[in-house]
Amino acid sequence: MDNQRQQRVDTFLITTIVLIIGISVFTLYTLGEAYSSFEGYYKRQIIWFIVSCIGVAAIMVIDFDRYRKFAWPLYILGIFMLAGLHFLPWAWENNGALRWYKFGSTTLQPSEFVKVFLVVILAHVITSHNEKWSTKNLKYDLILLGKIIAITIPMFLLIAIQPDIGSSLVILSIAGFLIVISGIRWRTIVTLFGTAFVIVASLFLLYFSNPEGFISFIEDETSFDHVADRIKAWDNPHLYTDGSAMQAIKSMMAIGSGQLSGKGSMNYQVWIPERHTDMIFTAVAEQFGFVGSSVIIILYFLLIYRIIQIALETKEPFGTYLCVGIVGMFTYQIFQNIGMSIQLLPLTGLPLPFLSYGGTSLLVYMAAIGLVLNIRSRQKSFMFESDNQ
Amino acid sequence: MGEKKKQKSHLPLRLNVLFFAIFILFSLLILQLGVVQILHGEDAQAEIDRTENVTSKTPVPRAKMYDRNGNLIVDNDLKYAITYTPPRNVQPEDNLETAEKLVNYMNMEDTDSVTERDMKDYWILKNREKAFSRLSSEELTLSDSEQYQIVLDRMTQEDLNSITDEEMEVIAIKRELDQATQLTPHVIKNEGISKEEYAIIAEHAHELPGISVSTDWERVKVNHPTLSNLIGNITNRNEGLPRQDINHYLSRNYSLNDRVGESGLEEEYEPYLQGQKEVRQHITNSSGEVIKSELVREGERGKDLMLSVDMELQKEIDKILQEELQAAITKHPYENRYVDRAMAVMMDPDTGEVLAISGQRYDRDKKEFYDEPYRVLYDAQLPGSAVKGATVLAGLDSGVIQPGERFRDQRLQFKGSPDKGSWTSSIGSPTDIDALKKSSNVYMFRVAMRLGGHWDYVPKQPLSYNGEGYQILSNYFKQFGLGTKTGVDYPYEATGVLGSDRVSPVKGYEVLDMAIGQFEAYTTIQLGQYVSTIANGGYRIAPRLVKQLHNPSNTEELGSVYQVQKPTILNKVEMEEQYLNRVQEGFRQVFQESGGTASSYFNDAEYKPAGKTGTAQAFIEGVETNNLSLVGYAPYDNPEVAFALIVPYTGQGNEYKINNIIGRRMLDAYFELKEERELGNKKSSEDEEESEEE
Repeated sequence: MDNQRQQRVDTFLITTIVLIIGISVFTLYTLGEAYSSFEGYYKRQIIWFIVSCIGVAAIMVIDFDRYRKFAWPLYILGIFMLAGLHFLPWAWENNGALRWYKFGSTTLQPSEFVKVFLVVILAHVITSHNEKWSTKNLKYDLILLGKIIAITIPMFLLIAIQPDIGSSLVILSIAGFLIVISGIRWRTIVTLFGTAFVIVASLFLLYFSNPEGFISFIEDETSFDHVADRIKAWDNPHLYTDGSAMQAIKSMMAIGSGQLSGKGSMNYQVWIPERHTDMIFTAVAEQFGFVGSSVIIILYFLLIYRIIQIALETKEPFGTYLCVGIVGMFTYQIFQNIGMSIQLLPLTGLPLPFLSYGGTSLLVYMAAIGLVLNIRSRQKSFMFESDNQ
Repeated sequence: MGEKKKQKSHLPLRLNVLFFAIFILFSLLILQLGVVQILHGEDAQAEIDRTENVTSKTPVPRAKMYDRNGNLIVDNDLKYAITYTPPRNVQPEDNLETAEKLVNYMNMEDTDSVTERDMKDYWILKNREKAFSRLSSEELTLSDSEQYQIVLDRMTQEDLNSITDEEMEVIAIKRELDQATQLTPHVIKNEGISKEEYAIIAEHAHELPGISVSTDWERVKVNHPTLSNLIGNITNRNEGLPRQDINHYLSRNYSLNDRVGESGLEEEYEPYLQGQKEVRQHITNSSGEVIKSELVREGERGKDLMLSVDMELQKEIDKILQEELQAAITKHPYENRYVDRAMAVMMDPDTGEVLAISGQRYDRDKKEFYDEPYRVLYDAQLPGSAVKGATVLAGLDSGVIQPGERFRDQRLQFKGSPDKGSWTSSIGSPTDIDALKKSSNVYMFRVAMRLGGHWDYVPKQPLSYNGEGYQILSNYFKQFGLGTKTGVDYPYEATGVLGSDRVSPVKGYEVLDMAIGQFEAYTTIQLGQYVSTIANGGYRIAPRLVKQLHNPSNTEELGSVYQVQKPTILNKVEMEEQYLNRVQEGFRQVFQESGGTASSYFNDAEYKPAGKTGTAQAFIEGVETNNLSLVGYAPYDNPEVAFALIVPYTGQGNEYKINNIIGRRMLDAYFELKEERELGNKKSSEDEEESEEE
């Protein structure tokens, strides 16, 4: 039995990841060839990939079930790292955002790590809750929901005040996905999401009925000025060509001009800031057009499809919840990142998993994949049972 | 377990619901992508073409050149320039307006470049209504360009005369403004800009869209003119890229008005000298104003060249050639009435580095000397006996003669051809070495005869020739660089005048002439390569004018070494070492042993030189003259310097052996300079020691 446990390496998932990383390295290479300010990033991305592969191997050593023991310590560590931005000496403010630690020349963004910590703690809490409660009723729902919200909100708020709307929405997405899957009954979920929807919709209504009043309220009464800018720019980009909407317009131009099959490798015409990180999708879309962009989206879809399949096949509820939390993280980031560059959503700074350049984020996403592979590799222990069914 | 199962029962359904939702989200992405890229893709491209696709390239100063000791040879002189960088979609009216403002601040006295068409265009712009009122109502229905053409044709001289001098300046400025391409800096004026002019324009730049003051550069040759025409020239800004190579340059990201090397080393090393332009991408809004400029690639000056030439030695040798030409002409004005040039090259036989390359031409009308070092590479002359080393080696290696074999030096008589003999008498029966020392023609003839299949000489018999001798001898010569490209790092070199170019097929009698350097003409650099090959033990090395390339530096000092040009061995002469040693010994005896043809000039030299003299009959204007040549190297046992020189058209019968005199002085100059520098170094290091002691 133990032998079988170690054998299951998911080639499908690994192939998908390697393909996306390959596209990432190639795209960074072409950017470096075209613009000297992007030179050399592809090499560093390769190094980070190798480093994170070691991380994946390390994560796979321990049975994923044992990570439940670390769930609370990791969560507390995460909260500490986020809160520490306000009092630890290494905290580093850049562009008006208190988001990083800086050690010498390397920077570290704790909000990247805590995403995975949140997945682990929520998966653990939901599993424990279901182990204790055999019958489902309103009390069951409310207590579980209360736990999830109580765990999520501190993290959400700590990230939101950095401010980093993008990452805080990722936190909400993870929680949201896990609420759907946690066992809470549909009627409670519908009520919860219904309420949230009404609140968001009324905010939008407020904005569209009296845009100026709404925006000035945000600008004057809250610390989310840049959110207001971006919403304005998203609504009517051509009014803001030199500021916040510049990036949105440039990325639309770059992607659009790729047309069906693109301009060919290294043929860039549009200068976009941050093109190697958050805006990397525009680089693929400009060079390889609709065909290339679709390949990226399909690869991501296959990635998520595979993780959900693993979630379905595993017989350990903890494993399923981990997978779904990770799916929640990836889905939101992918949808948000690509969506913002084609004007489906307002701009927020979020990397595109595996494709964007960035050491910390790549390490974190690879760690998440490490967890999934871990779950997958321990599936066979229940082979006989599934055969019986 | 049962509990777990129950607990999990809701999972598959909910996972599928989630999965479905994700599927919808991703479909939404693809749908929107389709809208953006396929439905509106062409609009986006059109928008880019209108606003975005704008890069500017700012040229950097060209790289400099230094001599082998780090002395500057070619520099850039920075000077003030007024430039114009047009915004997008600029109209002729805009340029006119700018020109009219600019004329108040700058002088544009040079209006020669203004064409009649420029004046006409200007007049029409200023007198639009009057000009177009000359059209009949019928003509007004024609297309705009046709109407304009008719208006141009109807302009009178009177109209043109109405243009004032100040207006001419406006036209001249506008003409420059019109030549600029959008967002690329164009120099309007860079000659004679005064400090005041510069300051005034800088002050008013804000009211002159696109106008700015900056610095421009101009090529300056230090030590002009000794190497000037070898270094070559670059095109000026109006010429831009040379027409014949335009596609070559455009495919390498040059702009049409870039200045590029059009001759000499400037052309040969163009890819290194040019440097990398600063490239900026401009981000514009929909009305064409530049919002932001992004640096795409930083500019970098090209790689500085360190020439192999030693400037001090070069000047010395220029001087020697001038003085000796002058002396020869003064001493024998009548005999030397055709002498007008001398070429000499000095090189390191082991590396091919050219230490000095001098060509002096004397203009008899102006009584002036001109520096024309390119003649060393271009000017082919009959070399005479200097090539005999190659002939002897051809004989030895092909086996037609044995080492030490003797031939009697007697006048050769052939039936049906003129007699052939040596220049000097009483040579006796020389061996191969003696034949070099005393320059026996007969010995070389016998070698050539045997190569052509005529083995034994019997007086008054016809010369027989099997038709192969020329090719065999020519192949040997080419192994030493005679009659083939030397591979020098220069855009052009002559291969000489080959026998096969002169007559076809080459006859036996002419092969005999070739063996004594009396048939094929070679350049001085070919002779230099030939003697270097003998000096260094058989390696034919390509001569080099550039020693190494340096990275640009911001100080007066040379930057770090970017690339060292390694010696290029073109071929190794394949023959027994002892044959080469015999020729080297022959060359030594020419210079050092009594009876050697140049021994009276060289036997007292401490640096133990070796070499070979040459005299060739050359006809000029029907008069028989002598080309005097000399090749050599020193010291004979461990050569560090090789040289070749030729003075064409000296008078017959004059006793001024200009070739030997120049050769001696050249070697003296080289070793004196070397000694001087060694002493200097020693002294300076002694000084250092002393100062340390203090």
